[in-house]
Amino acid sequence: MVSNNIALGHLPQKEVNQLVRVISTMGLLPILLIVIVAALSIFEPRFLGIFNILNVLRETSFLAILAAGQMLVLIVGGFDLSVGAVVALSSTVMATVMANTLGIMPDEVGLVIFIGVAAGIGCGVVVGLVNGLCVAYLRVSPFMVTLGTLSIASGIALLLTNGIPVYGMPKVFVNGFGRALWLGLPTTVYVALTLVIIVWAIQRFTVLGRYIYAIGGNLQASQVSGVSTKRYLITAYTMCGALAAITGVLLTARVGSGQATLGGDIMMLQSIAAAVIAGVSLRGGIGRVELVTLGALFLSIVTNSMNLVRIDSKIQTIVLGVIVIFAVALEEYGNRRKIRE
Amino acid sequence: MSDASVSVQKGQFPRVMALIMRWLMPICLVLMGLGFAAVEPRILSEANLLNITTQASYLVIFAAAQMVVILTRGFDLSLGMCVSSVSVLVALVMTGIVKSDPQSLTLAIVLSVSAGIAFGVLVGAFNGFCVSVLRVNPFIVTLGSLNICYGIASTISGGRPVFGVPREFSNMVYSGELLGIPAPIIIAAVLLVIIHLILTRTVFGRGFYILGSNPRAAKVAGMPSRLYLTYAYIICSVLAAIGAILLTARTGSGEPNLGGSIALESIAAAVIGGVSLRGGVGGIPAALLGAVFVTVLSNGMNLTRIDGNVQMIVLGCVVIAAVFVDRIRTK
Repeated sequence: MVSNNIALGHLPQKEVNQLVRVISTMGLLPILLIVIVAALSIFEPRFLGIFNILNVLRETSFLAILAAGQMLVLIVGGFDLSVGAVVALSSTVMATVMANTLGIMPDEVGLVIFIGVAAGIGCGVVVGLVNGLCVAYLRVSPFMVTLGTLSIASGIALLLTNGIPVYGMPKVFVNGFGRALWLGLPTTVYVALTLVIIVWAIQRFTVLGRYIYAIGGNLQASQVSGVSTKRYLITAYTMCGALAAITGVLLTARVGSGQATLGGDIMMLQSIAAAVIAGVSLRGGIGRVELVTLGALFLSIVTNSMNLVRIDSKIQTIVLGVIVIFAVALEEYGNRRKIRE
Repeated sequence: MSDASVSVQKGQFPRVMALIMRWLMPICLVLMGLGFAAVEPRILSEANLLNITTQASYLVIFAAAQMVVILTRGFDLSLGMCVSSVSVLVALVMTGIVKSDPQSLTLAIVLSVSAGIAFGVLVGAFNGFCVSVLRVNPFIVTLGSLNICYGIASTISGGRPVFGVPREFSNMVYSGELLGIPAPIIIAAVLLVIIHLILTRTVFGRGFYILGSNPRAAKVAGMPSRLYLTYAYIICSVLAAIGAILLTARTGSGEPNLGGSIALESIAAAVIGGVSLRGGVGGIPAALLGAVFVTVLSNGMNLTRIDGNVQMIVLGCVVIAAVFVDRIRTK
């Protein structure tokens, strides 16, 4: 009797389980993306306009780079709240450095751009390094460390500019790179694509990538197996900082001025959202950059469609908050299901 | 012999360290106060000390709120934005009622304050539900509800301050005095005593400590963990709402930007005071110490004319340092 009951109850249960498993490995994301794009192209013809598509791609690229960095940190079991502030910091530092060096050597535009970009990315590397060192050596909770560096980085960005946008970057950099189209696509798309492929290759083919997964999956086990966990923890945070800084550089080139208000808490939240929607686990060890890019695409399309139907930006933040909580709740539900099996 | 002496030394050294660690923050506080006073003697003037106490009484409410959640190994990032939305909501309800009927001031105050507290209960219940039943990481939940609250605050206020809060309300809750003590200090003190008694003297309060220091044990012992977790978040948000109402009375308007840095400051205060992020350690004295510390720091920096942006940097450094100290203390 009892076994019979179980057997009867088992059949539909199994199918449900299978569905859940497919969804949790593939992610709900591709399906959702197709649905939302189809719905939008039917109900909102402006969505398929060439300018709008370029716009969505550009937004996606910024977010994809930032989210790739966030993903690396999430995989090692951390958090990076400071990414938004790093965007602001690299933006202001780069613009200030470029404006000043251009004043000294107006003819060497190439060198000016190089120094500026290097300074911008350097800031991100430094912040990432500080985050990583604090987490690895002081063993302070990553949440608190990055909350601290968030405050520090945005403080420096504001201090540097007094909150006023910094102009005076070389025109070539803004018009020839930041706002330009190559072969019909915004330059940022190529940069983002290159970076995503690099991160993908690192995750897929290198020891570094393997170890980052291993540390997130089981810190103790990887330590015992002889992985120098500290080094890889620091590397993950530094890469995250660098990627955030690159986002800052690209955004600055697009906007045309260095601003302490770029990035901010909204971009930080979006980067976490994009990663979490794409199935990156907050407990570490799980996450794929190609899915995260899809997550970024999804978020950009959602934001874009809300803009198209003129939903207030304040309500958009509410939607973003709900999406994040919902995504994590779903992941948590999937996890518990797996454990029960 | 030598063994014994070694063991004595071994036994004493950590004890001395523990003693230092225990009194580190109070000592730092006194040193910092003296340092600021050396640069700017006005800091020790009676007016400024009263000012510091009044300011600290707001922060200590928020720090206590944050502390209750941190006790259960949680976080509340949404606290600041909860403050913003409660402030806007209270101001809107109050001005709305007073505008339609200027006679019903008492009704307006009672209704708007209860609306604010009800909103706090709602936010706390939402956070608590997501954390305890849906088992979502508290960090993500409150990050999400931070955005939701921000959206609500700026939507219902249109992004502008809500003016026209009746002066009588400010007179009562902000500039009112009892036996020469400003109202905010009295209200904060009463709240602190109540929470202190709950945390130390009741089974209910002890539950939060058990939940934080050993969730498994709590569960095995048959404690309704989910309910307790939810209560912790509700208490936190209700305290935040009360703090928001006091702040609204101070500014005389509902401000959608009121809570900007409160979440960070409240976490900083709690951690500086010695509330452990690993849960189960902390109490009202810790929240009080941390709140006074942060207030003296910012007051001192204001009076010595340190740029607001530099203050942000300093606060960030202090937070990291405090977590580091916490780390050593609990090792």
